[in-house]
Amino acid sequence: MSELAIRRGAAPALAVSGLGYSYPQAAVPALADVSLEVAPGEFVLLAGRSASGKSTLLKAACGLVPHFHGGEIGGEVRVAELDAIASGPGDLAAAVGYLAQDPETQVVSTTVAAEIELPLEMRGNEPADRARAVEEVSLALAIPHLLDRAVDTLSGGELQRVALAAALVTRPRLILLDEPTSQLDPVAGDELIWLLRRLNEEWGVAVLLAEHRLERCLAAADRVVAMESGRIAFDGAPAEFLAWSQHADPALETPAARLFSLAGIDPLPVGVRAARQTLRGMGITHPPNRAGSGVGDPHPSAPAPKSDPVLRAKNLWVELDRGEDLRDVLKGIDLTIRRGERVALMGRNGAGKSTLLRTAAGLHEPVAGKIEVNSIALLTQNPGDYLVRERVGDELPGEQGAAALRVVGLEEKIDADPRDLSGGERQRLALAIALAGRMDGESLPGVVALDEPTRGMDRARKDDLVALIARLAGDVDFVADESTKSTGAAVVVATHDVEFAAEFAERVVLLGDGVVIADGPSAEILSGGWYFATEVARVLDLPGIVTPEQGAAALREGR
Amino acid sequence: MKSPFAYQPRSRPLQLASPGAAVAYLGAIVAVAFLYSNPLVLIAAGVAAVAAGLLAGARRAVRVALKMGLALALLIVVVNALVVSRGETVLARLGDWPLFGQVDVTLEAIVAGASGGLRAAVTMIAAAVYSACVDPDRVLRVLRPLAGRSALTATLVSRLVPVAAADAARLRDAARLRGPGAAEVGKAPLARRLLAGSLDRAVDVAATLELRGYSLDAPRPRSRPARSRYDRRFYAVAAAVLVVAIAGKALGADDFQTYPTVEVGLDPATLAVAAIVALSGLAPGRVSSLLGIAEQTRHAEVARV
Repeated sequence: MSELAIRRGAAPALAVSGLGYSYPQAAVPALADVSLEVAPGEFVLLAGRSASGKSTLLKAACGLVPHFHGGEIGGEVRVAELDAIASGPGDLAAAVGYLAQDPETQVVSTTVAAEIELPLEMRGNEPADRARAVEEVSLALAIPHLLDRAVDTLSGGELQRVALAAALVTRPRLILLDEPTSQLDPVAGDELIWLLRRLNEEWGVAVLLAEHRLERCLAAADRVVAMESGRIAFDGAPAEFLAWSQHADPALETPAARLFSLAGIDPLPVGVRAARQTLRGMGITHPPNRAGSGVGDPHPSAPAPKSDPVLRAKNLWVELDRGEDLRDVLKGIDLTIRRGERVALMGRNGAGKSTLLRTAAGLHEPVAGKIEVNSIALLTQNPGDYLVRERVGDELPGEQGAAALRVVGLEEKIDADPRDLSGGERQRLALAIALAGRMDGESLPGVVALDEPTRGMDRARKDDLVALIARLAGDVDFVADESTKSTGAAVVVATHDVEFAAEFAERVVLLGDGVVIADGPSAEILSGGWYFATEVARVLDLPGIVTPEQGAAALREGR
Repeated sequence: MKSPFAYQPRSRPLQLASPGAAVAYLGAIVAVAFLYSNPLVLIAAGVAAVAAGLLAGARRAVRVALKMGLALALLIVVVNALVVSRGETVLARLGDWPLFGQVDVTLEAIVAGASGGLRAAVTMIAAAVYSACVDPDRVLRVLRPLAGRSALTATLVSRLVPVAAADAARLRDAARLRGPGAAEVGKAPLARRLLAGSLDRAVDVAATLELRGYSLDAPRPRSRPARSRYDRRFYAVAAAVLVVAIAGKALGADDFQTYPTVEVGLDPATLAVAAIVALSGLAPGRVSSLLGIAEQTRHAEVARV
C-alpha cells in the first residue's frame, strides 16, 4: 500500500484485536486479550498503574513488540491497515511515530537538523523534500531555532521536542507517546501536551498517550483507556473515566475530580476549565478562604521553626561547564533549612535544583560563598546507579547496614537480589545505601535529599514515598513513637511534581535561573501561580488551598 | 562535562564546508608534516593547524590538543634521547642503564626527537580541529551508501560513547555518595554495572534506529546534496599547499639533517614553503573578519569625512 493511501485512508489509525503478549522468559503475560480501536484524528489517553501494560501496548503498536523484544504474541494489531505483527518497526514508521520516556536514548545524531532528517533519509527521500519536511515539522513544534544546535546541548524539554519532531517528520497517522512529560518541568510538560493537542487538531494526527499525571492531559483527551494487569479495564469518555476511577481505582483520580468527589459535587471535572464552569453554574465563584484558620496548612504537625539548622548556604555561587563554556548555575543562594523540615525544591529544568543538592553533598565546589551541611545523604535521579551487587545484604553489610535497611523498611529483603525488587523498593534500597554509616544509632543524618524521586511513578507509589518522607522527617503522624521526632532529618526533595510537593512538603523553595525566587509555606507558594500551582489551586484560586481535602473543606463551607 | 573534541555546530566556513573539503584541507596540513622533517616547515604546519582551529572557533579543542601534543612531543624527545646515542655532540654521559645499555644524550638525538614530536603534535592538533569542526552526521551520510554496516556501527558508537561517558560519571558520583557504612564499590562491580547499563542503552538506541528506519533498504536519492560555497576555497588551499609542498620537496626545500651533526637548511625555498603552509591556516577565516581591520579603518575615515 502506498504511503499516500496509508496517510489519507479512512481505516482506523490503530486496530488491536485479541492481543496477548509475553516477554521472553516472563511468567505472567504483559498483555492479555486486548482489543482497542483508535479512530483517525482521535486523542486517546492510556491510563493505569505502573506495570499495567501501557508501555507494552504502545510497543506492540509500533512493531517493537515482538520484532525487537522477542517473546510470544497472539491476536492482531493493524496500524493504518498495515499488519504490525508481520511488518517491522521500520516499515510501520511511515504510519506511526513513537516517543519513549527517556529523551537521551531517542536521539542518534549529533545535530538537531540531522536527527529530524534521518527517517526521511533512510527512506531515500530527495534532499529538497527532506529540507522542506524538516522546516515544516520544526515550525510546527516551534523549534526552528534549535536546528543547528548539537543535541547534547539541549535541555530535557528541547530534546523531547526534537525526538517528537523526528517521530512526526514522516507525517504518520498515529503518534504513540510513553510518559513523555515524566522528565519535564511543569512548563515544558504543559507545553508538550498542548502541542500534541494542536497537532491532533490541525494535522489530524491520532494520539495514543500513556501518562501517570492524568491532570496534565485529561482535558486534552477525547477518550480514556485504563489498563489493569495487562487488560483493558475501562474504555470511554474522560468524564465517564473519572466516575469509573472514583470507585474502581481511586489512585487514578485527578486532584480536581477528587476535590469535587470529596465536596459531593457532580459532574466530576475533566480539567480546570470544566471545574470552574461547574462551580460558576452552582454560584460558587469565591469559596471562603480559610488559609488563616488552618485549612490552608496541609501540614499542621510541622516541626517547630526554631529547630537546629542543618543546611546553611550563604551567598553560594557555583559555576559549571555546560558543554560550550563555564556558566554560573547558582548565583548567590542564601538558604537555611532546619532539622525536621520537609522542603520541596522546585523550578524549571536547569534552574539549579540538582546543582544545589549536589553542592551540599560535596560533588561540586562553590566558586564563592559557602555551604555548611550537618551530614547529608543524597539520592540522585537514578537509584539504579547505587546498586552494584547481587544481594541486598552485600550492599549493606554489618550493623550500620542493617540499621539503614530498618529505616527504609527493607530489613526483610536482606537476601533478595536488588534486580528482583520493585521500583519503589529499589529506590528505598538506594536511599539506605546513602544513609548507611551516616546515622548515629537510629538517628538520621541532618539532611536527607532526594533528586526527582517521582519520575515514572504512579500515584500509589507516590503515596508510599510521602509516608517514607514523613517518617524520615520524624513526623509523629507516621512514626509509632513521638520521641523519634527529635531524630528526624530535614528532607529536601528536588521535584517538578507540584501535586506531590503539595502532599509531602511544608515549605517550598522555588529556584529560577540559579536564584531563590520564592521561599515559603507550600500552601502559599503552590497556590500563588500558574505553572507551580496544584490543579486544586488553579480551580479555586484561593491563597493557601492546594490539596483536594483543603479545597473540599472550603467548598463545603461555601455552600 | 562535554569533551573538548566533540563536534560543535558553528556558522564558520570550516563547519559549513562539506566533509570532503574539510578533510582535504586538514589532510593537506598533515601531509606536509609527514612529507617534511625540517623543523621550520613543521612549525609552520603546526601554526596553520592552530590558526585553522582558532578561526573555526574550536579554541578549547586546540588548547587541549596543543597541551597533549606538546606533552607527546616531549615524551618522544626524552625517549629518543635515551635510546639513540648517535650524534657527535654529546651533552651528557649517563652511564650503563638496565635495558638501555650505555646512555649518551646527544644534541642530534634530541633534535631528531623534536622533529618527530612536532610531526605528532601537528597531526594531533589537526585531528582535534577535524573532530571539533566536521559534523559526524554529514560524514556518516557520505559513508552510508558506500558502507552501510560500517556507518551503522559508527552511528551507534558516536551516540553511545558520550552516553556511556555520562553513565560512568553518574556511577562515579553514586559511588561517592554511598554512606560510609555501605559496602565499598570495587572497580569490578562498577565496571560490570557500567557494562550492563551500556547494554541497556545500546538496546534503546538500537530500538530508536529501528524506528527511524535504519533497517530499510532505502534507495539512494538521485540528486546530490547541496555543496557549501566554501568548498572551493578549501579544495583550492589544499591543492595549493600540496603542490607547493611537493614542488618544494623536489627542489630541496626540506634540507634537514640530524646525524652525525644537526644541519637545518633555511634557504629561500624552505622559507617560501614554510610561509605558504603557515598562511594556509587562514583559510577557515571569514573574508570580512580577515579584512576587518582594514574595513574598520576605512569606516573610521568615512566617519571623519
